[in-house]
Amino acid sequence: MSLILDNMPLFLRGLLATLQIGVVTLIASTIIGFILGTLAVTRSRLLRLVVRGYVELLRAVPLIVNIFFIFFGAPLFGLQLTPYAAAVIGLSLWGGANGAEIVRGGLLGVPRHQAQSARALGMTEPEIFIQILLPQAMRAIIPAFAGLLTLLVQSTTLGALVGVPEFLQISRLVVERTTVMQGIDPAFQVYAFVLVIYFLLCSTLSFASRWLESVLAARGGSRKTGTAKSLLPETVS
Amino acid sequence: MTAPQASAPLLAISGLCKNYGAVSALDHVDFEIEKGQVVSIIGPSGSGKSTFIRCMNGLEMASSGTVTFEGRQIPLSNQRAWTKLRPDLGMVFQDYSLFPHLSILRNIALAPVLRGRATKAEAQDRALALLARFGLADKAHAYPVELSGGQQQRVAIIRALAMNPKALLFDEPTSALDPETIKDVLDIMLDLARNGMTMIVVSHEIGFARQVADRLVFMAGGRIVEQGRPEDLIARPQSERLVEFLRHLAPRTA
Repeated sequence: MSLILDNMPLFLRGLLATLQIGVVTLIASTIIGFILGTLAVTRSRLLRLVVRGYVELLRAVPLIVNIFFIFFGAPLFGLQLTPYAAAVIGLSLWGGANGAEIVRGGLLGVPRHQAQSARALGMTEPEIFIQILLPQAMRAIIPAFAGLLTLLVQSTTLGALVGVPEFLQISRLVVERTTVMQGIDPAFQVYAFVLVIYFLLCSTLSFASRWLESVLAARGGSRKTGTAKSLLPETVS
Repeated sequence: MTAPQASAPLLAISGLCKNYGAVSALDHVDFEIEKGQVVSIIGPSGSGKSTFIRCMNGLEMASSGTVTFEGRQIPLSNQRAWTKLRPDLGMVFQDYSLFPHLSILRNIALAPVLRGRATKAEAQDRALALLARFGLADKAHAYPVELSGGQQQRVAIIRALAMNPKALLFDEPTSALDPETIKDVLDIMLDLARNGMTMIVVSHEIGFARQVADRLVFMAGGRIVEQGRPEDLIARPQSERLVEFLRHLAPRTA
């Protein structure tokens, strides 16, 4: 325990980096997700195909392969990325693909006759999107994005593999340093601590996600709220 | 585009066709309605009556033919022209389609404000007045889910009325309702018809047609098979298909 306390400033720095990557990538994923998810329900077949291709590609490739590709591939194009940048970009592109599926699912979950009756009132397509479709889709989208944040936080650990000083990487450093300097192997204590912290963090987030879902569903009454949530991948590859 | 004439019909349709691939849903339909008239359209399912009424305000794009409103022909594929027309041609659907995320008041007052037909305050005053007129004043701040089907459908009618339309289209407005709430909806429709609203009603409510319709139109196979004064059509159907149709309808309206 003293080992954990002695290294607390380090752990906190790592945890902060983890949370920071989680939040930054969530914001980027939200932006990418809303743009692509909206394009995915437009009338243009070409746009729908392009989005489909992006989503399938990003979701089919293991996330770590994606991050390696960006980190080791970027220098070939004359772009020297820090591990932090490579991890953030990789996670954002992946989160954006999942975000696009969430937004698309949320929009498709709004019954068709909603747009139609708005149209019959003389509303224009942008008005229908902003006033009618999006607010209803948000009930499914918001909790699903809270769920996506959980996945993103878990996936930040992949950053350790390219050397991002996030929580897991810092913990590994603590283990190595203690082994070298004090001649004891504290791996079990440290990783147990790491496990508990990730568990507390992510279970809080997924609890928040479920809570949001129930609050929004209660306000929405009997209307079925899409299938956006079930579109999330179960595990992070 | 021809100038509107004094005796011109409010809405005139000629040679309207609608094809889904090789299937023809509407086959050269001609139709006219004058201001203040009420026309009921009946027909078996698949007769094209719903498709027909949805072609009138461009929710379905007809394949060929002309739609002329107040003397102006609407180009069939011009979405902008249809969007501009729709506030004048209100529509009520089978599934009432209120917006579940908006209060009743907002449901009614939203479109008039967006279309610049009223300020927010005017639209809300008008919405409240209409709700009061049709006995729903206490529901202004409720949400659609808190209302019964019949109440929701009455709000849907009020929402269409709030735009101050020149005519109202009804696409099977009572088909999804419980029998006990149908009467409330029909009462509003009767009230509107008697107060001079131009109405086109796709419905199997023969009683409604009998009471207020100036004309009853029978459609089958994408065509208008027969039309005339409701009492004549019901008493002396000319075609075999109408005879058959009325026979099936009889037990329900007895």
